[in-house]
Amino acid sequence: MNENNVFIELRNIRKIFPGVVALEDVDFDVRYGEVHALVGENGAGKSTLIKILGGAYQPDGGEILIEGKPVTIAATSMAQHFKIAVIYQEFNLVPDLSVAENIFIGREPKIGKSFINWKKINTDAAQILKKLDIDINPRKFISDLSVAEKQMVEIAKSLSMDARMIIMDEPTATLTEKEVVKLFAIIEELRKKGVSIIYISHRLDEAFKLSDRITVLRDGKKIETKKTSQTSQDEIVSLMVGKVVKDYFAGKKEWTGKEEVIMEVKNYNIADSIYDISFKLHKGEILGFAGVLGSGIHHLLRSLYGAAQKTSGEVYFEGRKVEIRKPSEAINMGIGYVTEDRKGEGLLYDMSVLQNLSIIIIKTLTFFKGLFIKQKKELTVFNSMAKELDIKYANINQRIIYLSGGNQQKVVMGRTLVSDCKVLILLEPTRGIDVGAKAEIHKIMIGLASKGISIIMASSELPELVNLTDRCFVLYKGRMAAEFNRENMDEEKLVAAEIGKLSYLK
Amino acid sequence: MVKFLKLYEKIGIFILIVAASVFLAIVSPNFRNLDTILSIIMQGSYGAIIAFGMTFAITSGGFDLSVEAIMGFTSVIIAMLIPSLGFAGSIIIAILASCFVGFLNGVLITKVGISPLITTLSMQVILRGASLIITNGRQVVISQKSFMSIGASKVFNLIPTPIIYMVVLFAIFYLILNQTSFGRHVAASGSNEQAAKMSGLNVNLIKTVVYILVAFSASIVGVIRTSQTLIGIPTMAPGFTLNVLTIAILGGTSLAGGKGNLTGTLFAGIFISMIYYGLNLLNVQIFYQMLAVGITLLFALFIDGLRMKYLETAKVKGIRV
Repeated sequence: MNENNVFIELRNIRKIFPGVVALEDVDFDVRYGEVHALVGENGAGKSTLIKILGGAYQPDGGEILIEGKPVTIAATSMAQHFKIAVIYQEFNLVPDLSVAENIFIGREPKIGKSFINWKKINTDAAQILKKLDIDINPRKFISDLSVAEKQMVEIAKSLSMDARMIIMDEPTATLTEKEVVKLFAIIEELRKKGVSIIYISHRLDEAFKLSDRITVLRDGKKIETKKTSQTSQDEIVSLMVGKVVKDYFAGKKEWTGKEEVIMEVKNYNIADSIYDISFKLHKGEILGFAGVLGSGIHHLLRSLYGAAQKTSGEVYFEGRKVEIRKPSEAINMGIGYVTEDRKGEGLLYDMSVLQNLSIIIIKTLTFFKGLFIKQKKELTVFNSMAKELDIKYANINQRIIYLSGGNQQKVVMGRTLVSDCKVLILLEPTRGIDVGAKAEIHKIMIGLASKGISIIMASSELPELVNLTDRCFVLYKGRMAAEFNRENMDEEKLVAAEIGKLSYLK
Repeated sequence: MVKFLKLYEKIGIFILIVAASVFLAIVSPNFRNLDTILSIIMQGSYGAIIAFGMTFAITSGGFDLSVEAIMGFTSVIIAMLIPSLGFAGSIIIAILASCFVGFLNGVLITKVGISPLITTLSMQVILRGASLIITNGRQVVISQKSFMSIGASKVFNLIPTPIIYMVVLFAIFYLILNQTSFGRHVAASGSNEQAAKMSGLNVNLIKTVVYILVAFSASIVGVIRTSQTLIGIPTMAPGFTLNVLTIAILGGTSLAGGKGNLTGTLFAGIFISMIYYGLNLLNVQIFYQMLAVGITLLFALFIDGLRMKYLETAKVKGIRV
């Protein structure tokens, strides 16, 4: 043990991805038995940092010292060797194996050389769970556990490897209040045992409740490490936001919203994710939704498109009460939706640019009611949309996957736009595309709004929300936390509301 | 490699056919005569017709292993009904019954959510059992000789009718897949089911119709084969499903879904028939012929696998293909 009680130290860590510096000369250290909170906006570099610690990424510069000795964590198995465990948001558990099997996966106690010692694996697992005061039957299958229980199993698994440092990435995002209390008790327990913990969370109050120190990252740089007892939540918020100028915005857009209400949502509820949300959407308005993971925004917007079901609440469209049970009903009504998950539910991989753009409306572009496609008409529609959105492609038969991210996004947006929608729901419209294309997408959105199309947009990029939206709602744990308009909206306030730090607004 | 695969995708099956033709023309003087060629094409038409349907199923992201049993089912229904209904009526009922089986496949796969593999494999066994029960395990002789004109006659005294059916069905299936919005919907469902759903498509309905189309095509071949032999055979064409799958995949329809190539299927059907002809010519035992079809299927799957892998790599590296 060295004099500073430092378990792991990072010096001048750099990580560069094509076109982006993800981490720039970051210094960071964690002491024995310390809870060290890591905070920052989306894209600040938190995930990159923990992936480096977990051996998933290799740094491009700088060094890592464990107990004073320089090391390389060349693979995830190396991290295990150094007794570092990472609990990612999407757990690394095998759903069809039991709790005990998961805890000891790859290290199962054996009888002889090949047979698993079932008795021992179950009693050992039970012992570890008991030590943590976790009440889960080790014979249960992972797939039967709740999210919180899975998390407990992950923690048990890291302990069974004698982990000396556990990294938790947003552990509370999907937990209920009660489960959070339980998790905190376990973290406290671990701290007493001398286990170091890196705790990543969007929720500042949690970071303050738990941590000994807080490190703020912003745009890949370490801004500061503060002793929790010597700082305030207000200070951390302003460190997180900084006063950066996002120069890719042409400037704030003109107010486009009109008086006329096109859509109204009343007392909307979705099981376990959305509680009593009500709002009005005006014609030609750009309405923003902000919130961190676990805010429920995606559930809300999916459900307004009919891709998920509400539990209660009313929706009025153009003054009439409507029920939207599936996407085709939303489309017929004039509600369009552009997914944030372009790969998972946007792109039709094996199909051409043309076919991707026309898929929603192809049935209307036919002779004899849905029989033969009017090829010429399809081409005309495509050409005018491609021109409007400035889509760059080699030829119309090119497969969609060979377009750049920005152009793919434009095609997926265009697919919805050609269906003549009156309300456009956009989720993370600029995720994963480069700066130039972002600006173009923003220009398109402003153009649409000035034509009278109402846009609902969810984004985790605050500058985008501040510069584009007429009004912006912030959701926190499924409830409406704050509402801003163009006059009183800025990044700092949005961040504060997103992380449930409402007192900062006053 | 990417270039080679790209080229193979376009003309691979034609190269195989040309190579096989040259080989056959050299070793067999008979091959150079029109009757032989037509007979090879006719032998290929059975697999090709069902493979048209199979191409739809694979394009929609699934496949159908019940086709051979549907042939036998059709055969048995015709044989049982023909004395009372005449051949037109019994054919219509047999085809409708088969389409209903396809509908059941579709509902089990889409609504109940059982995988296409399990659903259609079970359906195969169920239909075989049902067909054997209906005929008491026997083959049923059909006495109505006029029924033979369906599958065993020649148009203009030259072209066997199965070839005509194949060409007509090819045209219909081709138009459906490539020129209608339904065809587009099928490809979208197989390409990315979630994206298709988010685009407002009724994926369940689309897939159900696809399984009806497969059953329909299998039933047509059941009618043709029954008419040729004038026997209702409950165990008709054992193992034929594998031939059909081989043809569809060899023709360039990717098992990944989303991309159907009916022209490739047509020619692959003829190619498989050429292999059989060649092997017969060389006096190769029937066992080796089975071996050959199995190897061809593996080869087709191998190429398809390479294609998926390399196109994936190309995509990651940003290579224009």
